[in-house]
Amino acid sequence: MINRIFALLIRYQNIAFGSFPRLISIFYWPTVQILFWGFFTNFFMSNENFGVWSTLNIILSAVVLWDVLFRGQLGLTMSFFEELWSRNLPNLFITPLKDFEIVLSLILASFFRTLIGMTPAVFFANYFFNFHLFELGIYLIFLFFNLIIVGWAVGFIVSGLVLRYGHAFEELAWAIIFIILPFSCVYYPLDTLPETLQVLAQMLPTVHIFESMRLLLIENIIHSKDVITILILNIFYTSISILFFLKMIKVARNRGLLFNQGE
Amino acid sequence: MVKSSIEINKLSKNYGDSQVIKDITFKLPQEGIYGILGKNGAGKTTLLAMLMGLVTPTSGDINIFGKSLKYKKYEILKDINFQSPYVELPKKMTVLQNLYFYARLYDVKNYELVINNISSELRINELLNKNYGSLSSGQKTRVNLCKSLLNNPKLLLLDEPTASLDISTSEFIRNYIINFQKKNKSTIVITSHDLVEIELMCSYLIILNKGNIFFEGDIKSLIKKNNYRSLKEFFLKND
Repeated sequence: MINRIFALLIRYQNIAFGSFPRLISIFYWPTVQILFWGFFTNFFMSNENFGVWSTLNIILSAVVLWDVLFRGQLGLTMSFFEELWSRNLPNLFITPLKDFEIVLSLILASFFRTLIGMTPAVFFANYFFNFHLFELGIYLIFLFFNLIIVGWAVGFIVSGLVLRYGHAFEELAWAIIFIILPFSCVYYPLDTLPETLQVLAQMLPTVHIFESMRLLLIENIIHSKDVITILILNIFYTSISILFFLKMIKVARNRGLLFNQGE
Repeated sequence: MVKSSIEINKLSKNYGDSQVIKDITFKLPQEGIYGILGKNGAGKTTLLAMLMGLVTPTSGDINIFGKSLKYKKYEILKDINFQSPYVELPKKMTVLQNLYFYARLYDVKNYELVINNISSELRINELLNKNYGSLSSGQKTRVNLCKSLLNNPKLLLLDEPTASLDISTSEFIRNYIINFQKKNKSTIVITSHDLVEIELMCSYLIILNKGNIFFEGDIKSLIKKNNYRSLKEFFLKND
């Protein structure tokens, strides 16, 4: 019996420590959770006089918008992973389908999946909790689009990594945005973070998106500087991520990886 | 002068320090069924993958129907197709959905009619509404073959086309491929470990050994010249 249990333990150790992404996943969840809830508690403690309902409305808006990013990213990566899981990549890449056509198809698939997925959630939030995301007006569309674009940028990076390094990186598809969650200031303002982290966090478009959302809900204004920053950061990160994905397809062709992907 | 379907010039492929295809040069004429043989690791799959643009060569040129694969890849890919038992179609889609999907990718005109005709010929009509993932290996092979014929390819690459098929279905598929080639005057390249199959179907053969061309030529003359009774005997004596 001991031998059999020992054999299984070695097998689980090989799985967990056999790949870098899996190893990282063991450590990052507890760290991310502590960081996130720590910053969140700090925000609440220092804003005791802020109305509970106002706070909840902001949080609920943030939950819905954060899910736009998550759905956008999953919609893209899962569409691509389906081809890997079904061992269909060689068939796909020997058709006259061009690499940029794959990129465009993934973007569109993600957009429609997100739209379909988010519609009932927004409806239920409106109906049951008297929550009015649409109070954000025309800027809601702006924030929605920019969050889904962040999702695409993350999605292309993850898809490229999986194409290049294999299935061990698939776990990132579920986890990667939770790594940036504490630094994206989704549920609390930027000034909740320590000063050094604030500088780094400002490089993320999500910070400016959620800061704008809060400003809109509380003061009904939006700064044009934030709009421009969001657009510039998104154009930069999305371009980089698409170039990275295309580069990984090229690398996969060089290394013969398109023929050897599968479940 | 006989036109070439495939023209390979000093083709090499390295994976790191390992050279899997070593500076090979050959030409295959248009129209005909040609075999590529070799032991495991000889470089057959890599060669096929390079012919389809799935693997980028380290050096050398590939010309297909007189066009450079490097510069006219997407133009060439319209006229190529491929089937392998090791490459599958999306499992969660029905056979018909899969065939529609690929027909659209190849921009096939009147694809409903084309699919109907090929699936009738390959006797897979009763599978069309089944999920691809639920099919047996033999059924998948026939569906994959149907997919590979959708664009009426001028160059068809077949990797073990009768793997997982019973004897009678293998015979049926072999005859179907031979008739397809005659009817469409296409070029078919087959890799297989089934030497009888290669002997039955192919007129011309390339044998790879550790990335080099070990033999290239007519099968009958190879057997006759060396007084072998079959291709199998040749392989056993040269192992």
